Amino acid sequence: MDTSVLAEGFVSPGPGDFEYSPLFGEGTFFTKPMLIIVLGTLLVAVFFYLAARRATRVPGKLQFAGESAYGFVRNSIALDSIGKEGMRYVPYLATLFFFIAVLNVAGIVPVLQFPATSRIAIPLFLAVISCIIFNSIGIKRQGFVGYFKAMMFPPGIPWPVYILLAPIEFFSTVIVRPVTLCLRLTFNMFAGHLVLLLFILGGEYLLRDYGGPVGVVAGSVSLLGSIVLTFFEGFVQLLQAYVFTLLSALYIGGALLDEH
Amino acid sequence: MATDGPDRTAPDVRGDARKGEADAWGAFGLVVSGVLVWGGVGWFVSDRLDNRLPLLVGLLVGMFAGLYLVWFRYGRA
Repeated sequence: MDTSVLAEGFVSPGPGDFEYSPLFGEGTFFTKPMLIIVLGTLLVAVFFYLAARRATRVPGKLQFAGESAYGFVRNSIALDSIGKEGMRYVPYLATLFFFIAVLNVAGIVPVLQFPATSRIAIPLFLAVISCIIFNSIGIKRQGFVGYFKAMMFPPGIPWPVYILLAPIEFFSTVIVRPVTLCLRLTFNMFAGHLVLLLFILGGEYLLRDYGGPVGVVAGSVSLLGSIVLTFFEGFVQLLQAYVFTLLSALYIGGALLDEH
Repeated sequence: MATDGPDRTAPDVRGDARKGEADAWGAFGLVVSGVLVWGGVGWFVSDRLDNRLPLLVGLLVGMFAGLYLVWFRYGRA
């Protein structure tokens, strides 16, 4: 293949494609990712409001959908990973899950087509909230000294070794946990969006500009591949919302546990 | 809506899978933390003394301490 033509004509997608200029012209601040956050928040809020309004013993379709969605987070995330005490944290976990899921899935919704969670500020903010919650739960439950003692000084190690190990335990719990929560979500969404852009824009370029039998065949394969990848991306988007929520729940569960 | 959630006393296969997920990230976090914390200390000392040895020692000590913690937390029977 003549790579020089590719290098001249095709501008491959990159981090620049994640920068949006304001929607309403220069001087305004409102960008597409912000629009997606507003729409996503409204969607989740309105859906659960309508589902919970006039709740009856025999649920209608909408109430059933709302209860199933909420029940999923309650049963397979909160109760499974925290236990009975997990009931108290279902509202937070459910909000977290559906907020992330909706912002992720915006990446494959026509017209929007951008996962707002690929902008690091959103996952970072959510990870910081999760971090504050599980640490304050641990401090409240085990006391300030007790919590950090259980975290940094696991019994069964000769005391001089603690000098070496305690800072690592502290760092891994208080710093690395929220950082990995944030980065895992951000870059799963970032990479997924980049791959979709590459397949779609590359396919379009091959079909339209590169042309010839090679361009038509390769472009068609690329565009067909982008359809498969869109479905795959949808799966990853829901999975990552689940993983973020699940790990937050497990951290809360760990903080509730008294480690003797 | 009859259940109060899963029975926590029964062995739960799905629960085990979740624990595995958290443990995997926990182990990863410990190794990374070990290298960052003691490698960081080593780097700082190296920077002050203008000598590369403390950085090397810090990185190695951090790595082994992190690996030891992984074994201590997750590797014992």
